[in-house]
Amino acid sequence: MSDALSATPATRIALRRQGLLPRILGAVLLSFIIAALLIALTGHNPLTAFAAMLGGVFGSPYQIGEALNRTSPYLLAGSGVALCFRAGVINIGADGQIAMGGIGAAGVVLLWPGQPGLLSAVAAIIGAALCGAAWAGIATAIHLGRRVHEVLVTLLLNFVALLLVQLALAGPLGQPGAGFLQSRPLPRADWLWRAPHVFFHGGIILGVIAALALSVLLWKTPFGFAIRVTGQSRRAAAYAGFSAAGITWGVMLTAGGLAGIAGGTEVLGLHHRLIEGFSTGFGFKAVTVALLGALEPAAVIPAALFVGLLESGALSMQRQIGVPSALVVVIEGITMLLILAATVRRA
Amino acid sequence: MIDFLAASIRIATPLVFAALGGILSERAGVFAVGLEGMMLMGAFGAVIGAWASASDLLGLAMALAGGAAMGLAVAIVTVRYRADNMVTGLTVNILAAGLTTYLLHVLAGSSAIQVDPLGPWPIPGLSAIPVLGPLLFAHPPLTYLALLGCAGLSFLLYRTQTGLKLRAAGENPEAVFVAGSSPMRLRFTAIICGGAIAGLGGAVLSLQQVGTFTDGMTGGRGYLALASLIVGRWNPWGAAAACLVFGAAEAFELRLQTYGVPVSSYVVQMVPYLIALAVLAGLGRSTKLPAAIGKPL
Repeated sequence: MSDALSATPATRIALRRQGLLPRILGAVLLSFIIAALLIALTGHNPLTAFAAMLGGVFGSPYQIGEALNRTSPYLLAGSGVALCFRAGVINIGADGQIAMGGIGAAGVVLLWPGQPGLLSAVAAIIGAALCGAAWAGIATAIHLGRRVHEVLVTLLLNFVALLLVQLALAGPLGQPGAGFLQSRPLPRADWLWRAPHVFFHGGIILGVIAALALSVLLWKTPFGFAIRVTGQSRRAAAYAGFSAAGITWGVMLTAGGLAGIAGGTEVLGLHHRLIEGFSTGFGFKAVTVALLGALEPAAVIPAALFVGLLESGALSMQRQIGVPSALVVVIEGITMLLILAATVRRA
Repeated sequence: MIDFLAASIRIATPLVFAALGGILSERAGVFAVGLEGMMLMGAFGAVIGAWASASDLLGLAMALAGGAAMGLAVAIVTVRYRADNMVTGLTVNILAAGLTTYLLHVLAGSSAIQVDPLGPWPIPGLSAIPVLGPLLFAHPPLTYLALLGCAGLSFLLYRTQTGLKLRAAGENPEAVFVAGSSPMRLRFTAIICGGAIAGLGGAVLSLQQVGTFTDGMTGGRGYLALASLIVGRWNPWGAAAACLVFGAAEAFELRLQTYGVPVSSYVVQMVPYLIALAVLAGLGRSTKLPAAIGKPL
């Protein structure tokens, strides 16, 4: 095994073991205080703004459903990212993997029409997972084969995937004459299941299952043990006989598959068609919720829920009192910086 | 042909500034993934500064300040609190995207902010030379500054004691410590100055080229600059050459579109990213990173 794989990477995300929860909550609280200052800057009362946010989320069952729909892709992709970070693999490519998942789902449904509903839906989800995993696989192959840092590879591939969506929409999947880039609408029979009255789609259920399964994988299986050892010390992992390359392939393909499913559920459950740029920024949200959940897949569930609620709340805050919803992005950025500063284990 | 080369230079200029800022940071031992955010803040600061004060110079000062502020955030979290460089850089990019969008809405509402873009400064005499004149000596001011920046940074890195210490902070920080300097302080300063320079790159995009700011207008250029400084082996001139290649690729793409060549524009737009990937993969393990890059002190 070459040195690049046997040595623990110079930088890694290893969180301290004690006092994580209070630190993370403290980071969230502090960033809300900074956000309150930013709101006050616009001449609005921060308390009114936050009240509008809360009212927006819990105002009606429909809005709760909307928040859950925002949560779903973050949860699916974020729990996979948490797994990668645990192994010391910094996968920033969820953006592109989600985009490819969208292509996969829409491609299966539109190019293989006329199948019975259930078969078609399952095939579409599988297609999404395969496309996402394949995109992560390309990144892994370049990373391991040519020793290019995984952050650079996954980042650059994000841009390529985004353009591939546009290419697919301009070509085989597109709706001619739509005026902008989108696919033909998917037939109603292929839409993802939606909860009655609350209108959230099945993605969130898949997300919860995935996060819990990854948590079991990480803590209760030999593979999970290998992941944790590899993330802590590549040398110890090599001594124990774990293949760093094998672990990297494992976590990348798992995360890519989950991100692909996230893209698939966006297409099948929310938009009901493939849309240009539908995945933009989701990859970074996945990193946000993974860190907010302290890289613990099960804890990514509340983290993703929090971000989803925050975002849908911010939209109604913007509608009601005119404070720009981009405030949420500021809150997320500051929270992440604070978490990085406050929870990373001292070397 | 002259148009094409001039366009390549125009497109490469913001990348060159960002790459120079990134070299400063990475030579001192901290990965520069935050370049995108630094550029974005710089682009925002330049237009807001020039708009609020009606002075281009104040706009440029704001661009420096905006980039430096993002650099400060990276420096505190990575150097003081020893967090992962890559994730911190990405976080700063998110923060910059959120802050600029938020502040733009607050300051300008729904209307766009317009300022006069910086005009060309033809160099007297030289700009009258046929072919070379319009190509090399009739650019707006920041383009010349990018060239000066390459020369200046090369001099700083390879010909001064500060440069030697700075490179040592990225290669062997213990040696810097033993020699009586603080590698932490060197890294701090390098990241903040690098952020300011990358901020100027943003100013090229907003203030020099279009005279307005739009959400996310850097559009991944910070990441291309990051790729080009690696391809250029952390050397200012090498990185500038790599930026020119990316600039040429994009200029070529614009030409193809105007001539209506039957190649999908989306495929052509992928070219810069594919070039970057191919070159990085081709360099592979022969890329020699600063030895202590990413290692917290």
